Amino acid sequence: MYKSKKINLFLAVCFLSAVVFVTSSCGNEKTGRNLITSEEVERRPVNLFGPMEKSNPDASNKARSAFDLTIGMAEKKLGINVEYRTYTAENYEEKTYDDVSLNRVRNNMDDLYLLNPDTIQILGEEGELLDLSVLENSKNLREVVKIANTVDGKLVAIPQEVVAHGLFVNKDLFDKYNLKLPETPEDLLECCKVFKENGYETPIGANRWWLENFVFAQAYADLYNGGNTEAEIEALNTGKSKYSDYMRQGFEYLKKLSDLGYIDAETAYTYEAIEGEGPDFLAQKTPIVMAYWGAANTETAYGKPDFELQVIGFPSKLGQMPVVSMTGYGISAEAEHMEDAINTLDILLSDEALEVYSRTNKVISPSNNVEVECIPALKPLSDKIKEGVYVLGSNAGMRVEQWGNTCLIVRDLLKGATVSECMAKFDKLQEESLKK
Amino acid sequence: MKLDKRRTDKGIPLLLSIILVFCILGTVVFSVSHKITKEMSASAIQNLSESLDLMKGTIEAILIKEAEFQSMFAQEVALMENPEDFILSYNGNKTMVKISLIMAGEKEGISNTGEIFSEDGLDFSKGKTVAGLPFSQSYLNYMGTWAYSMKCPVIRDDKEIATLYAEYIYDSFDQALPDGFYNGKAMLYIMDSKSKRLVLKPKGIGERDAGHLNLEDFYRANNIMEEDLREEVSSCVEKGKPVLFYHDIRKKNALNYMWPVNEGTIYLIGYVPVEAIQQEGRTVNQNILIVVMVMLVAFILCCTLYSFNQKQQDKVRKEREKEREIHNKRLAEALQAAQIASNSKTMFLSNMSHDIRTPMNAVLGFTALLARDAENPVKVREYTKKITASGQHLLSLINDILDVSKIESGKVVLTVNEFTLNDLVSSVDAIIRPMAEAREQNFNVEVTGIKHEYLMGDETRINQILINLLSNAVKYTPEGGSIWFRIIGLKQRSSQYERIRIEVEDNGYGMTPEYLETIFDAFTRAENSTTNKVQGTGLGMAITKNIVELMGGTINVSSEVDKGTLFKVGLEFRIPEGEANRQFWEQSGISRILAAACDKEACNNIRTLMSAMGVSVDTATNAEEVLHMVQDNSTGISYDMVLLDCNIQDADCIFVAGKIRETVPDSVPLIFLSDYGREDMKETLNMANTGILAKPFFVSSFKEKIIKMQAEANEEIMQDTEEDNNLEGLHFLAAEDNEINAEILSEILSIEGASCEIAENGQLALERFTNSEEGEFDAILMDVQMPVMNGYDATKAIRALKRKDAVKIPIIAMTANAFAEDERDALEAGMNIHLAKPVDVELLKKVIRQCIQGRE
Repeated sequence: MYKSKKINLFLAVCFLSAVVFVTSSCGNEKTGRNLITSEEVERRPVNLFGPMEKSNPDASNKARSAFDLTIGMAEKKLGINVEYRTYTAENYEEKTYDDVSLNRVRNNMDDLYLLNPDTIQILGEEGELLDLSVLENSKNLREVVKIANTVDGKLVAIPQEVVAHGLFVNKDLFDKYNLKLPETPEDLLECCKVFKENGYETPIGANRWWLENFVFAQAYADLYNGGNTEAEIEALNTGKSKYSDYMRQGFEYLKKLSDLGYIDAETAYTYEAIEGEGPDFLAQKTPIVMAYWGAANTETAYGKPDFELQVIGFPSKLGQMPVVSMTGYGISAEAEHMEDAINTLDILLSDEALEVYSRTNKVISPSNNVEVECIPALKPLSDKIKEGVYVLGSNAGMRVEQWGNTCLIVRDLLKGATVSECMAKFDKLQEESLKK
Repeated sequence: MKLDKRRTDKGIPLLLSIILVFCILGTVVFSVSHKITKEMSASAIQNLSESLDLMKGTIEAILIKEAEFQSMFAQEVALMENPEDFILSYNGNKTMVKISLIMAGEKEGISNTGEIFSEDGLDFSKGKTVAGLPFSQSYLNYMGTWAYSMKCPVIRDDKEIATLYAEYIYDSFDQALPDGFYNGKAMLYIMDSKSKRLVLKPKGIGERDAGHLNLEDFYRANNIMEEDLREEVSSCVEKGKPVLFYHDIRKKNALNYMWPVNEGTIYLIGYVPVEAIQQEGRTVNQNILIVVMVMLVAFILCCTLYSFNQKQQDKVRKEREKEREIHNKRLAEALQAAQIASNSKTMFLSNMSHDIRTPMNAVLGFTALLARDAENPVKVREYTKKITASGQHLLSLINDILDVSKIESGKVVLTVNEFTLNDLVSSVDAIIRPMAEAREQNFNVEVTGIKHEYLMGDETRINQILINLLSNAVKYTPEGGSIWFRIIGLKQRSSQYERIRIEVEDNGYGMTPEYLETIFDAFTRAENSTTNKVQGTGLGMAITKNIVELMGGTINVSSEVDKGTLFKVGLEFRIPEGEANRQFWEQSGISRILAAACDKEACNNIRTLMSAMGVSVDTATNAEEVLHMVQDNSTGISYDMVLLDCNIQDADCIFVAGKIRETVPDSVPLIFLSDYGREDMKETLNMANTGILAKPFFVSSFKEKIIKMQAEANEEIMQDTEEDNNLEGLHFLAAEDNEINAEILSEILSIEGASCEIAENGQLALERFTNSEEGEFDAILMDVQMPVMNGYDATKAIRALKRKDAVKIPIIAMTANAFAEDERDALEAGMNIHLAKPVDVELLKKVIRQCIQGRE
């Protein structure tokens, strides 16, 4: 009796469900004559020009993801659409990203730019970039960031991360040949010698962008860590001392590395960053490369090696020396969407956004208020920076732009120029700067 | 089994049919779905092609307009006197960002930006034109963006005086192209067909995963690595043909396109996820799936209901079959039981016939002899004695039959009262011991482990159980055998109940296993060459078992032929409340006694029973120990009483008693524990303040003995409570309808010196009493079942009379209605006492005397 009641109830529920289903399926929504029922709200655009590496299928670029997250925050808060424009040179013969970005800023093609240190300095001096001191969040910036990006008293660019360059070493191979991680230039030569003897044709993998870090580490180790930084920079800016005197030992060292076959100058001249030397390093054919901090966290770079990765400073007479450079965001002084661009950048540089960015990328934040732990591989580099031991790869306070010029002169060295010829170029640049 | 097989045989084709239906259904659904997908796919391709054609047309229209504008501009330049100044005055706009002019015959010219211009940076080698104007390969212009140039001759007077170059940027197409089509899910690039560079790209932040550099980057980003496919695409691009192919993009099926614009000068390339094109297709498929699922559910539901219904029917059928089987079984059992009952009753009647005829034969035979030898007093006495014995046997036979009948009809009501195990054992011993002694059997009584002697129960029925078991033991044990009667206290389950086990064991004839199975059935009796001499109704054990079960107990029997039998009866009795017994010991000043017994178990028994009364018991198991304990003054212990077992080890009991008396003062009672039948011991003692207590030890008998001794010590002469039962001079009114009974009654009373007046029914008795003078009758003897007016009504009527003695006169029920409820009815009717027939003369005398004395 009880069971049959249950069955009846079940059947009733089934029937009711069927009726509801059929009714809902056949029901017509009321519409007017106009079939377009909703109007799309057009979002204001903010044009952003930034670099981008070549794509890999099904790979997640962590750095880009962190950047996207902060862009997303700005889009959501401001109701804007950040339209991303990019340029990547197909080969070394093509215009570089820096060339293109200079043209685009000068022709007012975009609103917001991600710029390298040399272009920041050039465009800052040309007055093409907006003074970003107006940003609410600029007051949170570390002093080193402000110094490195101030041109003629204007804060022309602000980074989302403090980019530290270091030597990326395959610790397993160092252990295999009982080698200590190099502290001085001589240590590195010794390590390269051992590797070379053991069949590693080119112990240091290099590209056309980052060899200059060897030069900076040796040139400015004393300048930035000797306690007399401002006076020494002032002497350089007034011509009392010469850049070439600082740079010479670094260039001679690079020449030595090249002459001994520890660097392949020919390929280094044509290689794009990571894309060229990266595969050999990951395949453990090259024990040493150089790269920026974020490359250790990024799967598309060196974030997932099959060996123990360690990131250390470049060798100098003061020991391992991280080279800190800044890539930063600038806003065109004539930006079409100026207000939205300023607000966007202010949100990108807020502590909230920088916290997200730094935690995701595990990088050093430019904000005084944001501190995050780094991955173990980066600890040696991180420890040095925390101790205050580093050199700047770019410093807008120096009247001769460092990052771009040194890079170009290093390329000359790679192409066969002598150290003296290279030094002469520095002297010429210094003379030109003194004329301004 | 066959039925199951048939069902299995039917089940397989049914299952196969269902599978076939499902297969057909699945195939139809799959075909329909496939067909719809195919049609939707074709529709999607057409749809996408149309969209791309539209975009192609738009771009081509822009290019033509640009070319036409440039031609007009060239005509304008031709009209100028100084064309270069005109060029320099041009400011440029967002589409035509730069114009340059090279005069005929010159290799360099000038741009509107003021720079020197040459054609070196431009590549027109592919020979593509727009509206007749040559179209260059794409390049990065001075603004850092992708651009193309068209050149147009400046003709004045049919003579080409210069060439006008105009630079256009691809960004200008951005406004004309849809901002993401197919709901923003489609990806659109513009590719330079010669360099394969992507010159216009999607701009959203999330769109960069799709590749952004060139065709190779597009392939790599979207994992299009199939060489044959790439070759085919390259071939088509070379020929300026459109390409459309399916390939997964980011693990989703997508339509990839390469759509030529301006005869393949540039290409629209990109992809659209199929699900974005075929949104309705997915909905249709989902709906088909839903319909199929609903149908499937409905089908399964129908199957379930059908199966459920079948199961219900099966269940009902099985239940009916089961019920039928049970019914048949019960019928068979009932038939068998009826047959067995019939056989039993036949057997019983046969037995009864035999058993009744035997004493009846004796009665009649001896009556005949009595008549013949009436003059010979010796023979008369002998005959009457035998007639009495036969009559008593007949009576017990009738009693048993009545008992069985009553128990079986559930009419037995237990009368629960307080009783003592002592009284129980004494009464049983008094009956059984003479029987056992008559057969020279050893009758041993043992009581152990009892914690409470006063219990609540139906003493009469317990007595009946014990008498049945023990009398059987006596009957079925040959002369000289032994019988053991044990009462054992078991561990209590509840503090309010005493658990005991009664064991009756003998070493008699024993029983066969077959008989043991039916021993508790009514009308059965062990018969063999030895026992068939024993008289019995065959109802005793059935009655015993029924009573035991009525009391909530158990009865078990084990037996072996020629070795003996052991009955075990387990019973549980409630322990009565009350402290009267404890108070007695305190008031008598008895707090510590010495018990000297022959074995430890007996000593423990005494200690257990007495500790419940608050009396400490020291025990000794031999004479030496006893004497040591009574003589040892060092402990300072003095005993208020000494119990001495006459079977004490190592010494003569009387000698030990003498020794005790030397130490223990006369004021301390000395009591001998003796087996039943050794009452004569006392005569051999001349000691003061001594007594004999029959074993086993019970507190109640111990207490009685102490009371008795206390009375003797106070030199009070006990009143002889035995009443003079002489009925001399009394006059009775007897209501009795049976003439013989009336005559017997008259005769008995006259023998006792009393007179009796007989009334034949209740009515006459009432009338006679009504008409009698007050005090004329000393008592009324009232039968119950009488014609006209029965005994109950007559009694009620007499009690209702308005005369002084109507209430007081004793009315004694004398009836064959011998059950407890008959007695209750009699008392409720107003009678004083109930006596069952046949009348026991001594009992009658005693009862009458009590009633009369009570009235006085």
